[in-house]
Amino acid sequence: MKKRDHQESCSSSYGGGGGGGSSSNGKAAKTCWEDEQDPSGGMDELLAVLGYKVRSSDMADVALKLEQLEMVIGHEDGVSLSQLQNDTVHYNPSDLSAWVQTMLSEINTPLRDPVQSLNGGLDFSDLPDRVSSELTQTHLGFSDDSQYDLSAIPGMAAYPAPPTPPPPPQLQLAAAPNKRMKTSIGASDTNLNVTSSSSSSSSSSAVGGAPESTRPVVLVDSQEVGVRLVHTLLACAEAIQQENLKLAEVLVKHVGMLAMSQAGAMSKVATCFAEALARRIYKIYPQASLDTTSYNDILQMHFYESCPYLKFAHFTANQAILEAFTSASRVHVIDFSLKQGMQWPALMQALALRPGGPPTFRLTGIGPPQPDNTDALQQVGWKLAQLAETIGVKFEFRGYLASDLSDLEPSMLDLRPPEMEAVAVNSIFELHRLLARPGQIDKVLSSIKAMKPKIVTMVEQEANHNGPVFLDRFTEALHYYSSLFDSLEGSGPTVADHDLMMSEFYLGRQICNVVACEGPDRFERHENLAQWRSRMSSSGFAPVHLGSNAFKQASMLLALFAGGDGYRVEENNGCLMLGWHTRPLIATSAWQLAPAVVAAGAH
Amino acid sequence: MTRDKEEKRRSVLFINDHADILLEILKRLDGRSLCTAACVCRLWRALATADSVWEHLCLRRIVSPPPSSPGSSVRPVVSALGGYRRLYMLCVRHLLTRLDRDPGGRWRTSSAWDELQLSLSLFCVDYYERLGGRFGDTAATSSLMFLCKPVNV
Repeated sequence: MKKRDHQESCSSSYGGGGGGGSSSNGKAAKTCWEDEQDPSGGMDELLAVLGYKVRSSDMADVALKLEQLEMVIGHEDGVSLSQLQNDTVHYNPSDLSAWVQTMLSEINTPLRDPVQSLNGGLDFSDLPDRVSSELTQTHLGFSDDSQYDLSAIPGMAAYPAPPTPPPPPQLQLAAAPNKRMKTSIGASDTNLNVTSSSSSSSSSSAVGGAPESTRPVVLVDSQEVGVRLVHTLLACAEAIQQENLKLAEVLVKHVGMLAMSQAGAMSKVATCFAEALARRIYKIYPQASLDTTSYNDILQMHFYESCPYLKFAHFTANQAILEAFTSASRVHVIDFSLKQGMQWPALMQALALRPGGPPTFRLTGIGPPQPDNTDALQQVGWKLAQLAETIGVKFEFRGYLASDLSDLEPSMLDLRPPEMEAVAVNSIFELHRLLARPGQIDKVLSSIKAMKPKIVTMVEQEANHNGPVFLDRFTEALHYYSSLFDSLEGSGPTVADHDLMMSEFYLGRQICNVVACEGPDRFERHENLAQWRSRMSSSGFAPVHLGSNAFKQASMLLALFAGGDGYRVEENNGCLMLGWHTRPLIATSAWQLAPAVVAAGAH
Repeated sequence: MTRDKEEKRRSVLFINDHADILLEILKRLDGRSLCTAACVCRLWRALATADSVWEHLCLRRIVSPPPSSPGSSVRPVVSALGGYRRLYMLCVRHLLTRLDRDPGGRWRTSSAWDELQLSLSLFCVDYYERLGGRFGDTAATSSLMFLCKPVNV
């Protein structure tokens, strides 16, 4: 078989799932490679091998019709899909002769060449002689009739299983990696884990009435598709940046299709980003409501279970707090996002085993109001109190409802003077939300200073998703979330499927916010460690170095996770960063009031 | 003749008569062997499932507890959270196998006490998670929410 270029390999690759088969074939051929179509007027060789007789010159028409079909199938509200199901004719695969008869009666274009020259190993020897002779006279070519019946397409490649099924033809296309690519790929994306293992796509051309006995026919090297996926995503973002929404629309649909043909992390990332881009194009913004915050808490719990990022955040922050509290007899922790309180059992246990006995532990938890007015904070506080009683730590809890951190007033918190109790402020993935509205972050930082904390621990995502230019944000987010999804994938079989799925939802919502929303609605305004450092320093905080204990504990924790080889703990000027392979993903830092501020406050 | 037989019978050591020796032997076993031993007979089960044996197993690698944290304060905490046997099963066991998997690894700088501390923290988190289930009954978007999973070590 003559090896064609990229175009042919793409045009013969089939999307995953039942419906996407031939449609991706034609669409791909049409939209991206129009200028590269083979000028020969002869039969397309590769398709001929599969049983289709399509003139290369007819490809454009075929592709157009398939694109129409694909738009119908892929329509979002699904109404047209059911319509399609009603209109599609399904054939009983076990009754080959009847199927052939109906095909014969429906097809009305002139007979083309007989089918005998099908190479590729299709074996008709097991079929009854009567049927095979009929088949050889059948027109099995591709009709350009606009009312073409989808079920006629499968041709002979999708024949039902005879009593002893012959082996399916295995065509290995696109084996060589050095295909001529349409667009030149610039810098290689080292951060993207493009799956290089070839993934076999689903059954060939299984559209509509394809029997379940079709077997995979085509193997496609998916590495190219992965790179193309990234490139299409970036092209779409660029189109949006240039306000070219028509082009963006086309590209985003293409991304959706390409993503279906991929497997693994890359496909999921691409799907999330494609959805976010679509939302931005069509201006369908996700509604933020109270329900979403509690739903987000649930998703975060699954994220907690499935990967070590949150655990790392909790353990390193706890270690910093513990070291700050070594001699205090009364301690007070203010948690900016209590959620389920998963951070505090470990701290309480460490305090219980502290030399000299446990201090009195006061916890103030801040959380958003719940949609059905249940006091979620109190429930968490009650559970923590139970635990504290079990391990013998004196415990007090206070919960404050605040939909926005900037609503918080230090006077509301019943703080006692620093001689009596040591205060710690803890914020895990919360401070970046304040960057959505101007002035909020400064207000909160000054509130924190007014609380006179001994230590402020914060954990934030290590990425700059808050730049002014959309395209830069998009590119950065693509790399960041690709690494994140990669690490989720790397955790492999030890993580329960539903945890993995929910974690992916959780991250998908973040992606949606970063890409699709603007203004005060965009609250996932991540900034990297350098930016936070300068902000904290200019607000009057001095950095506290996280000690070697935190590093050791974090390293041990990561060793427990499958895929622990991929996770890396790095120390960066006293801050700890957790990353996947070479890419740091979250950063823990600790701060205290700068001496000048303390002196000023004492006056 | 019968006197010879009696003498023979007396000189054979029947371990179950000497529970203290048995205990000393059990204390030196590893976790898996200890569980196997617990299946032998009722006496062995009583001895092998006693928390003191498991405490010995967990603390065995710690040459001397650091003076800052006397061993006596650890025991009540661990007992309250579910006991040393549970601690071993849930946390220590996995920690030991996973850290052993990586012999020259970066975590070797940690001491056995640090490892125990980490186990204790995870154990505590597990206890907390098992307290009264998840609270998130409000937005019951998924029935999977209410599964109380132990810590996935």
